Amino acid sequence: MPTVDNPSERLEFLQGTLEVLILRSLRPGANHAYGISQFLKQQSEHEFMVDNGSLYPALQRLLQRGWVTAGWKTSPNARRAKYYRLTPAGRKQLVAATSKWQRFVEAMGRVLAPETPEA
Amino acid sequence: MRQWWSKIGAMLTGRRGLSEELDEELDAHLELEIQELVSRGMPLEEARETAKRGFGNTTLIHESADEAWAFTLFENSVKDLAYAARTLRKNPGFAIAAILTLALGIGGNTAMFTVIRAVLLKPLEYRDPQQLVRLSVDIARQQLQDVGFTEERFEAVRSAAKSFSDLGAFFISTENMTLSGNGAEPQALNGARVSHDFLHILGVQPMLGRSFLAEEDRPGGRPVAMIGEQLWKSRFNGDPQVIGRTAALNSVPHTIIGVLPREFQFPAPDVDVWVTRPSEFSALPPQAWSRTPILIGIGRLKPSVNLEQARSELQVLSRQYANSHPSDADPIMRATVLSSHLVEKVRGMLWILFGAVGLVLLAACANVASLLLARATARSSEFAVRAALGAARGRLVRQLLAESLLLAFAGGMAGALLATWGVAAIAKFSALNLPRAGGIRVDGMVLGFTAALSIATGVLFGLFPSLHASRPDIVHVLRAHGEGRGSLKRVALGLSTRGLLVVGQVALSIMLLIGAALMLRTLRHLYSVDPGFQPAHLLTMQIALPPTRYDTGQKIITFYQELVRRIETIPGVHGATVSLTLPTGVKWAIPIQAVGQQAVPVQKRMQVRLQSVTPGYFRTLGIPLLRGREFTARDNLPNSPPAAMINESLARRIWPAFPNGQNPIGQHLRFGLDQTSGGLEIVGIVTDVRESGLRSSAETELYLPTNLYRPQRAGLVVRTDGDPQHFVNAIRRQVLSIDPDQPVSAIKTMDDLLESSVGQQRLTLLLLGVFAGVAVLLALVGLCGVISYSVAQRTREVGIRRALGAQQSDILRLIVGQGFGLTLAGVAIGILGALALTRVMKGLLFGVTATDPATFVGAAALFLMVALAASYLPARRATRIDPMAALR
Repeated sequence: MPTVDNPSERLEFLQGTLEVLILRSLRPGANHAYGISQFLKQQSEHEFMVDNGSLYPALQRLLQRGWVTAGWKTSPNARRAKYYRLTPAGRKQLVAATSKWQRFVEAMGRVLAPETPEA
Repeated sequence: MRQWWSKIGAMLTGRRGLSEELDEELDAHLELEIQELVSRGMPLEEARETAKRGFGNTTLIHESADEAWAFTLFENSVKDLAYAARTLRKNPGFAIAAILTLALGIGGNTAMFTVIRAVLLKPLEYRDPQQLVRLSVDIARQQLQDVGFTEERFEAVRSAAKSFSDLGAFFISTENMTLSGNGAEPQALNGARVSHDFLHILGVQPMLGRSFLAEEDRPGGRPVAMIGEQLWKSRFNGDPQVIGRTAALNSVPHTIIGVLPREFQFPAPDVDVWVTRPSEFSALPPQAWSRTPILIGIGRLKPSVNLEQARSELQVLSRQYANSHPSDADPIMRATVLSSHLVEKVRGMLWILFGAVGLVLLAACANVASLLLARATARSSEFAVRAALGAARGRLVRQLLAESLLLAFAGGMAGALLATWGVAAIAKFSALNLPRAGGIRVDGMVLGFTAALSIATGVLFGLFPSLHASRPDIVHVLRAHGEGRGSLKRVALGLSTRGLLVVGQVALSIMLLIGAALMLRTLRHLYSVDPGFQPAHLLTMQIALPPTRYDTGQKIITFYQELVRRIETIPGVHGATVSLTLPTGVKWAIPIQAVGQQAVPVQKRMQVRLQSVTPGYFRTLGIPLLRGREFTARDNLPNSPPAAMINESLARRIWPAFPNGQNPIGQHLRFGLDQTSGGLEIVGIVTDVRESGLRSSAETELYLPTNLYRPQRAGLVVRTDGDPQHFVNAIRRQVLSIDPDQPVSAIKTMDDLLESSVGQQRLTLLLLGVFAGVAVLLALVGLCGVISYSVAQRTREVGIRRALGAQQSDILRLIVGQGFGLTLAGVAIGILGALALTRVMKGLLFGVTATDPATFVGAAALFLMVALAASYLPARRATRIDPMAALR
């Protein structure tokens, strides 16, 4: 996963991973870019530090695919910010991607699981 | 798809709005972050700093967010190319040097590819050419390979073989035929004798008229001929009414039935006329036609049969034939693919040259890469500034690659021009007799190759320097900018990369240099070979007497005697002679048997080379007589005892103790089918002559006086004062004064004849020499460049050394030593490479082995000397460094 501390790994971000994470972060409700990155940071217990150079292009791609929409709103602390919101298509995509990810993670887990010691 | 629509929508509404909106969004993002930090108790200023530091490069975010909306690759490529063109225009010296270097490399490769494609790769212009095979005969006992069938043997195969859907034959060589009549001057033509179905087998249609009929191929059939497009145009003005007209071929009226296109080159290039009945070679008496091995088979394999199956069938048939013809048991029939046979002789040479020119291209790439590296180092601050302003690494790499590709493309275009010129030169190199040379031309396919090669080249020489340059050490470069120096580490890295490139270049040029040196030594050996006679000032030509007008031996002999007599009256002519064959020409073999030695059946007798000559032959060619006497006019008198002369090799073959032991003079030989007569008396022994060219070894040879073997077609050799070519017209006039219908052909000096036997070596030497020269030049330029660069970078170091008391000679040794080290490493690698590669040249070499130590050491030593000189020039500048100026 990319971290801000080590920008040289930026390019190794798995294509598509970040997009799923963004979709997930928008499930509770609309959010702005900063909010999304904060959400990911907190939910992953600081494992994921999303770099803005990846976040913004990812958001643009989601907009293009029609999985999110965007609009300007005033935030609770009285600042105008661009809020992203899941579209029905985005919600469907999130479900599909989540189940795919779960299968992937389970499979990885099975492969990587430590061998059971012989009795 | 949906993405594309949104992109196109964005493009139409303009991205400017998007960009401003993104700016606003990023501002808001930053403010939110600062607010958050402040709310956690951080002072405002510090919060602002922290947030900004963590935020990342806004330009970069902008660019990558934009990219999501654009057809970026395309837009950026256009921008990169435009920028590259601007940069190169600002540096014309660099651009021209790089483009010229590449043009040499790409041009050379394009030229060689053009030749190889036409000669080796293009399928023959026949239907399913891979199904066409050529049938010939090997006779192991007589060390004969790829010789012809006798008619009897061929008919046995034709009637029994099941592998072929069609099987025809053609006369093994081409025949000199005379076209005369209609009041025009007689013309010597290159004629082919083929079986009636040859066009059907090859799958070719005549461009005009029809092909032969089966009844026209039978003995006594109607005389008909097909003519080539060239003859049709030159002699018959391209008249379509030519079909059905009659022309006198060898004084026999033939009906012209068809015209074949210029590209049609079967069985040989430049055939003017095709006739049927392949075994009726006019130089042979009719009773010898069916027994002389002069037929080559041409067959089309049945679709279900492959070459291996056909070969095994031929083996079986060979055995069957041997069982039923015990006296003719030795020949083994063999089949080769027609196309591979055509180019057998030149294939090795062409691939070697293609490989060599590939090495030149590699050297050129290394050179341009080195130039680019030097430039990249000089431009490191430009890249650092661009990187600091947020250019992504990929963008920098792409932009540098665009420059390389632009260079390669320009080099490719110049190279294509160079290639058209080079290709014409190679195709015209007549001493080579390149098969299928007519098809050698630069066409779309070749230009496609050039384009692909240019792109590959651009990536090859551009990728490494651009990867290297696009990782600028921003801080160091910018900080050191005022001093005009890059970081030490970076400089050292750049230098070592360029050093490696120089090592590679040296290695490549050493390999080529050794190859060229091997060819040079080969050619020197060939030229120092004693052909066995004095070739200078000799003029040669061919005469074919039509059997219809010269139907008796007496007429033939009278013509030759009269011809020699008249030519010898021309002022400046020192001798003239007529012989059955000319050096490097066709070889006639004949079985012989020494009278008094154990009798052997005719088919198992030793085969010797036959030569029939008029008395002045040995004197005219300058062949020394070892023993006995030469032929005289008396030997041609009808009732004089039959005489023969032999060469040294034949004497030794029959009497192994020669020149000691029994004296061959006065002994008798039987030749041909003669079993019973008293034989020919050996009257003289001459030294060996290399009849098959300079590369051949001497053969056993039997000389007969013209009276005993009357050649229907013969060679004329004339020894002249000065340039033999000046005598061509006078000699032709003498021929016409005896017989106004008799042409001569193939007029060449003897030097040119011999030259054609070493044509491959000549061309290989020429091209390898040019390639090696280019590669050496590139390597020296590279070496010089690296040393100069190193001197410039080490100014301060040299200054300190000088201040500490180093002498000029110490400095010189230091700098030159660096160049010498690189060269030595390259030479070592090059020698190893050459050891591995020169092996493939074995077939072309003569008198020198592929790993000849003297050649290797010589080439290496030569290169080292030149390299020392090349490092000395820039090194001298280092000695002139003023220590005070350098340290300040």
